[in-house]
Amino acid sequence: MTDVSDANGATRRRGIRELLSFPEFQLDPARACHALLRRLPDGMRAASAQAALVEAAGRLGLPPAAARLWDESLPVASGTAQADRYKEREVRRPLLRPDHPLRVTFAEYADGVCDLVLVAHRRVLAPCDLDAIASLLSGPANSSAYAAGAAGMGPGGRSGPPVPLSDSPGPAAPVPAPGSAAPVRPDWGLGDPRCSGTEISVPLTVRTPAEPFVPLLAAATALVLSRYEGGGHPELTVLVEDETGHDTVTWLNPPITRDTRTADLVADCRRALEECQDRPAPHANTHIGLIVTRHRPDDAYVPCLAPAFPLTVEWTVDGADTLRGLLRCDAGAVGPQIAEGFAQHLARAVESLSAGTCEAGDLELLDAAETRAVLAAGRTEAAPAHDAAPIHDHFRRIARARPDAPALSSGDHTLTYRELDARSDAAAAGLRAFGVRTGDLVGVCLERGPDLVVVLLGVLKAGAAYVPMDPEYPADRLAYTVRDAGIRLVVTDSSQFPDQGARRIHPDGLATTPRHDAGSPDARPAGPDDPAYVIYTSGSTGRPKGVVVPHRNVAALLAATTPALGLGPDDVWTLFHSTAFDFSVWEIWGCLLTGGHLIVVPHFTTRTPEDFYDLLLERQVTLLSQTPSAFSALREVDTRRRSQLALRLVVFGGEPVDLRGLDDWLRRHSGCRLINMFGITETTVHATQQPLTRAGIAAGSRSVGRALPGWSLSVRDEAGRVQPFGAVGEIYVSGAGVADGYLNRDDLTAERFVTDPATGLRTYRSGDLGRMHPDGQIDHLGRLDDQVKVRGYRIELGEIRSVLTQDVAVEDAAVVRETDGPLDAAAVRLAAYLVLSKGGSVDAVRARASRILPAHMIPAFFAAVPALPLTLNGKVDAAGLRALVAAQTATAPHSAHTTPDETGTAVALTAFRHVLGEQVGPDDDFFDLGGNSMLAVQVVGALRRVGLAEVTVRQLYSHPTAAEIARWAEQATAHAAG
Amino acid sequence: MERLQNKVVLVTGAARGIGRACAVRAAEEGADMVLLDAPGTLPTVGYELGTGDQLDDTAELCRKHGVAALTLFADVRSSAAVRAAVDQAADRFGRIDVLINNAGIGASAGKAAHEMTEEEWQILLDVNLSGSWRMLQAVVPLMLALQGGSIVNVASTAGLVGYRHFAGYVASKHGLIGLTKSAALDYGPFSVRVNALCPGPVRDDPRMDGGLGGVVANSLGISLDEQDAVDLESVALKTLVNPADIADAAVWLAGDESRKVTGTVIAVDAGFTAK
Repeated sequence: MTDVSDANGATRRRGIRELLSFPEFQLDPARACHALLRRLPDGMRAASAQAALVEAAGRLGLPPAAARLWDESLPVASGTAQADRYKEREVRRPLLRPDHPLRVTFAEYADGVCDLVLVAHRRVLAPCDLDAIASLLSGPANSSAYAAGAAGMGPGGRSGPPVPLSDSPGPAAPVPAPGSAAPVRPDWGLGDPRCSGTEISVPLTVRTPAEPFVPLLAAATALVLSRYEGGGHPELTVLVEDETGHDTVTWLNPPITRDTRTADLVADCRRALEECQDRPAPHANTHIGLIVTRHRPDDAYVPCLAPAFPLTVEWTVDGADTLRGLLRCDAGAVGPQIAEGFAQHLARAVESLSAGTCEAGDLELLDAAETRAVLAAGRTEAAPAHDAAPIHDHFRRIARARPDAPALSSGDHTLTYRELDARSDAAAAGLRAFGVRTGDLVGVCLERGPDLVVVLLGVLKAGAAYVPMDPEYPADRLAYTVRDAGIRLVVTDSSQFPDQGARRIHPDGLATTPRHDAGSPDARPAGPDDPAYVIYTSGSTGRPKGVVVPHRNVAALLAATTPALGLGPDDVWTLFHSTAFDFSVWEIWGCLLTGGHLIVVPHFTTRTPEDFYDLLLERQVTLLSQTPSAFSALREVDTRRRSQLALRLVVFGGEPVDLRGLDDWLRRHSGCRLINMFGITETTVHATQQPLTRAGIAAGSRSVGRALPGWSLSVRDEAGRVQPFGAVGEIYVSGAGVADGYLNRDDLTAERFVTDPATGLRTYRSGDLGRMHPDGQIDHLGRLDDQVKVRGYRIELGEIRSVLTQDVAVEDAAVVRETDGPLDAAAVRLAAYLVLSKGGSVDAVRARASRILPAHMIPAFFAAVPALPLTLNGKVDAAGLRALVAAQTATAPHSAHTTPDETGTAVALTAFRHVLGEQVGPDDDFFDLGGNSMLAVQVVGALRRVGLAEVTVRQLYSHPTAAEIARWAEQATAHAAG
Repeated sequence: MERLQNKVVLVTGAARGIGRACAVRAAEEGADMVLLDAPGTLPTVGYELGTGDQLDDTAELCRKHGVAALTLFADVRSSAAVRAAVDQAADRFGRIDVLINNAGIGASAGKAAHEMTEEEWQILLDVNLSGSWRMLQAVVPLMLALQGGSIVNVASTAGLVGYRHFAGYVASKHGLIGLTKSAALDYGPFSVRVNALCPGPVRDDPRMDGGLGGVVANSLGISLDEQDAVDLESVALKTLVNPADIADAAVWLAGDESRKVTGTVIAVDAGFTAK
């Protein structure tokens, strides 16, 4: 009988042994030790306990160190606060040394009361072993309990043969290498690393579910976790002390979808718990652990001295109607509000599963009060009574207040506010003369220049809304916009503008049009609710759609930002972005409606960071709006030039911010604030703001900040329900910035612009992933579209990118989802594009990434590119990346074999090849090779380095082959010499 | 007043004097205590070291504050003894957060530096300097595992200035300050702080059972009152330093309030070194 018991014990202990072998338990033994406290019967003496301990240690085969009884005689009475604190400390003291599996302390208080405290490595001694030792030491009064062998340690027997704590003798205490002990933290935990070491515990009480209830507890935990993680396979470890006091360990990762029946989930968990005992998680510990412990009426039992898992849920089985649990976590891993919330949600899930089966998606995590609290955290009240006047009225007021101040400069040309007002009046009159009426849409396709702003303002003054079109867009895209918007009139100076039946008018034609029609009686002035502009966004799928934004939204944006950013007449802004990108709305109206001076940045300057840097210096620009990608090129120039810029504020938008290098920037430009703003065209440029501080940068914060005044953000699950703090979900935006909808796309409008059942407000579903902090800050986690599922695991591309960019050999990186067929999920693969630093190799980067990332997150394809191509809007261009690599790896272009016969061409060719690859021939066209503006900057840099010092991006665009640019350079040199 | 709650503090030379004052003060702040001393006599040292009874008295004074106190004998001149003591402390408490390196011997040699014997010189360095280093050597791995800790080296104003006829003592305490600064650099990245305290002229406190003031006076051939009078004249505050004054500073260095303080030397000397 003893033999059988031994064998069982040994088998059973394999699971706990494997679990507690994970490094975090070795580094922090408090997580791997358990403790038992027993109040001793009257008259117990330390000496007899010591004798019993020697005997027990001998029977258990424990080393001599474990046979020492630590006798503590405290001159304070039991039951005092001091004595209670002492006991609390005693049951939390871990065992450090591998050869020291047990500590027994005998505490005697001033009133003669004695406590026995046992602390043991759970890997070596099971709960039943602690019971048995305690019973033996409690003296004859309790020896019957021990003799009965209920705890598995009958006389001469025990729960199993001794298990060595360590396979090899180690140092007294493990010494971590710096940075090696980065603790595992669940993303949703929102722990504060500065609070590491502080334990949080939240009590839980639920009605005891029907037997067997461990599978139900596990299923409820998995269900809540799947909601926090946004679906997939929630993983948890279940450590159960069975009725004989032995440990069993089971790793669960049940698949959960919205329509999983909870009864099936419970059954799955039950099966796993019965069949897969003693199997911890295969590779690393799980974020959540469930520890089920038997109730000990006479003792206090602590199943782990410190939370064994980042989030540990302990349940004690006592057969009563209510089941008591304790949620424990380290504040460094899970913050206090998240812990409170998780406990509530878990209790609700347990009650719900006990009550009967439903679908997993039906479980309501949050009650009404909590939903209100989360919504309130995500809302920022608007400034009281801001001026909702239409843009042009607002402008007129500014123009009257400061008529002679400079409003707009382009090159050598400057318009004052009075002049801009007058010229836009004339344009408005011209438009009216051409039949434009209030509520009409007017296409505007102009290069950035003074005319552009005059015309935009003129359109608004005429009561119409502008539909900006970038002259760089392909003719098909322009034609599509005209057709889709039903535009009847386009102001353009391009003779190439496609003929789609819309009337094309040159801006000069507007100013010179007779004004006879200007005052026609139907001129109902546009009001705050009329559309101001329609901007087409492409999105990742489907055809471009026009977002209709009314005047009042722009007024609200300025009311929300002017006080916080201190916008005013002393500011000098740049108009850097295409009007087809709504960042320009911010640049133009942010400046002109606060009295600032707007500097138009010529197209080529926006593509040449050196030149743009010069412009910033020369114009003393104070307020710059940039995509992080564009800013990174500018920052690089700044690193080299180190000039004193007048910038007081840089506003990031359009893309997730790249924190690298920003600390250097802040150190160099102490007077310059950096603000990251998350926003979407559909919510009027910006929706949140987050000052980027050196502390936040150091902490690697992904926060995009809180909602702007007047905006509300929340995070929702797939069913549109409000997600708790910390949990991942889709960002919903409501409030002052929500657009009217998509032009002529009622279906899509109804799908994305919804009436939120939780608030009754008109709300935009952003398609962006995020999580909310208890203070209302939002972490932006990428696009829903960018989520990739591999074998059911949900992957975020941003997470992979951040691992790649941490590699010193990587200057920049993009990770994109690629697929061979649009609907073939199996063909989806991850591709990583790397901009390597000098000497970096793709293989080394891949090797490092493979060490850090789980297998399902390692990109299938790695390629080096000279630079990340940007879209017209300054964002990373995924399609361009593919084209670029295709161009690099394609079979050699037709002229590759042509031997360059001129020295100049050979020199230029080395520069081309340096950037574009070795297969480039002298007559290959830069653009045919996948060339774009960013690559152009690289090629020009390379050309300058090989001695063609005069080359600019503009010349490369005009002379796009190595041979041509070499000829041009020769002529230029000859000309200069002559 | 529980500034050291949940911490474990090890004090060497804890039987009496400044060591006892530090121990009792730390216990008052809620720390569980490891108390170390080495009863007996040392060659060339003209007074009896702290006794086992005195160490037990210190432990009892600590326990009155509801904390555990483990008493251990170990001579800091022996690496093996130091290691065994620290192992026991680790077994008992599972951690050591604070080391107060207080054990030391001192008295005037009564002669110039070159007149000291090899043995007199060696023993001062072995206890005061090397002993502190041996303690540090044994305790630091535990602190690194915890990723934090505080070491307080009790030096002396003799670590800052010279004293006539005290060459060995002065050299050992200057050395201890050097050890403090270097160790602070070694362990700074792991949040283990190392600082030194420099007590100035200390008045014997009967409650702390120490008598080094008398020993020093004796070695100089004057009475304790005369010694105190000379000391009083030398300090700015016109009051002598009590062991409790040192203990207050030690507890501050031990606790989290001094979390940004490392490699520093704090003189608690009533202004003796101000001039």
